[in-house]
Amino acid sequence: MQLNARAPGQAPDPARGKEAPGTAALGTTILAAAFALPGLHTAAHAESAPEQGVISLKYVDYQDRQPGLERTSVRSPSLSVLAPIAGVWAIEGSLVYDDVSGASPRYHTAVSGASRMEDERTAADLKVTRYFPRGSASIGAAYSDENDYRSKAVSLQGSVSSEDKNTTATFGAGVTNDTIDPVNLIVVGERKRTVEWMAGVTQVLSPRDIVQLNFTHAAGRGYFSDPYKYVDNRPRERNQRNVLLRWNHHVDGSGGTSRLAYRHYRDSFGIRAHTFSAEYVQPLSGGWIVTPSARVYSQSAAYFYFDPVYHGIFGPPFPPGYTFADPRPLSADQRLSAFGAHTFGVKVEKRLAADWSVDIKFERYEQRSSWRLFGSGSPGLQPLTARIVQIGVSKRW
Amino acid sequence: MRSAPSLLAAIAALPFAAGCSAIQPVQPWEKGMLARPEMSFEGDRLEMKFAEHVYFSREAASGGASVGGGGCGCN
Repeated sequence: MQLNARAPGQAPDPARGKEAPGTAALGTTILAAAFALPGLHTAAHAESAPEQGVISLKYVDYQDRQPGLERTSVRSPSLSVLAPIAGVWAIEGSLVYDDVSGASPRYHTAVSGASRMEDERTAADLKVTRYFPRGSASIGAAYSDENDYRSKAVSLQGSVSSEDKNTTATFGAGVTNDTIDPVNLIVVGERKRTVEWMAGVTQVLSPRDIVQLNFTHAAGRGYFSDPYKYVDNRPRERNQRNVLLRWNHHVDGSGGTSRLAYRHYRDSFGIRAHTFSAEYVQPLSGGWIVTPSARVYSQSAAYFYFDPVYHGIFGPPFPPGYTFADPRPLSADQRLSAFGAHTFGVKVEKRLAADWSVDIKFERYEQRSSWRLFGSGSPGLQPLTARIVQIGVSKRW
Repeated sequence: MRSAPSLLAAIAALPFAAGCSAIQPVQPWEKGMLARPEMSFEGDRLEMKFAEHVYFSREAASGGASVGGGGCGCN
């Protein structure tokens, strides 16, 4: 999430809460004058060093299920800190702890024989950014540790803005090294290495519109199979490409902001996916902010995914024609099937005195084969639903 | 499907490729609205991280907004 149009806390936040019409006009005049001052005029759209620090705490409760099976439950506290240093530096870091438990089908959405799991995940990341008059450069590192999976990543990113700060180009590169040691010892010390590239442009279109176009490419080599699924043998190479288009628009009439995005995804597994997302941030009186959101997702199946039609003699989970030395890539993982998914959510935030704020967000996610767009979904799978509740508190200083 | 990304990119890049000649350059004093937190593409950092984590573990597509976020088992 590097292509910020504005560093957090950088610019005034003039219109939180409702204002009387006269006050609003006066506010706009004062704001206009402020932005005309030397040194302040870059605030809105250059990538500038943040002036305020932010510390945030969040607690997430996630539960998903399918008919007849409570699947994964995650309880996850997290902490995030952004600290400006000496006016031209910023340090951002976060810590996340996931307490994961539940059950996961070993093939398709089969309930019987589902694998039980109990896991803990600790993840941390750190990013240091140096800001320049017309750009920024940052270096980041990320770490994630589970008892059977460890991931380490480093990244570099840079941005350059046009003289009027209306156009910003961003470039990034990253390398991730993962080590996989499943508890069932089906493989030992397996590895996966992914090299990622990114290029993007952010453009101010009008005083109320900003758009961003991002391209990313990831080339991964190594162990992509799921060690806890039956008959799962995936290619040892996966190349992924994304095109992401985002558009934020301020609506004068309501004082709200619409945030729209479309992502097109394709990979060398043969999967194509479309993601549409929309949210509307509506400030209300008394420091309240309400944000309803919706997301529609659709994907085609991996070329080696097989439907739940099984071998005439061996039965499930083996596909027809299966032999025990079968070298073909194969998977019965629901995540590689063709399906569509919808997410609906609402977030309520309250700004309090002394730069404190609290928020709560509810979301419901559902995945169904029949919801695939532009094609038919994979047959014979159960729908998956999830509910997600997040509670957060933030303090600026 | 193969041409979809390039077609989309071409359409999306039109305003940029046109040298923004059709777009009136926005002046510094007109950027008050753009300075609001909700006009930033960053959003709530922890919330976005968790959303990426959830979708990464339940869907095949991932990424698009940044690089170097690291991986997880997430089964």
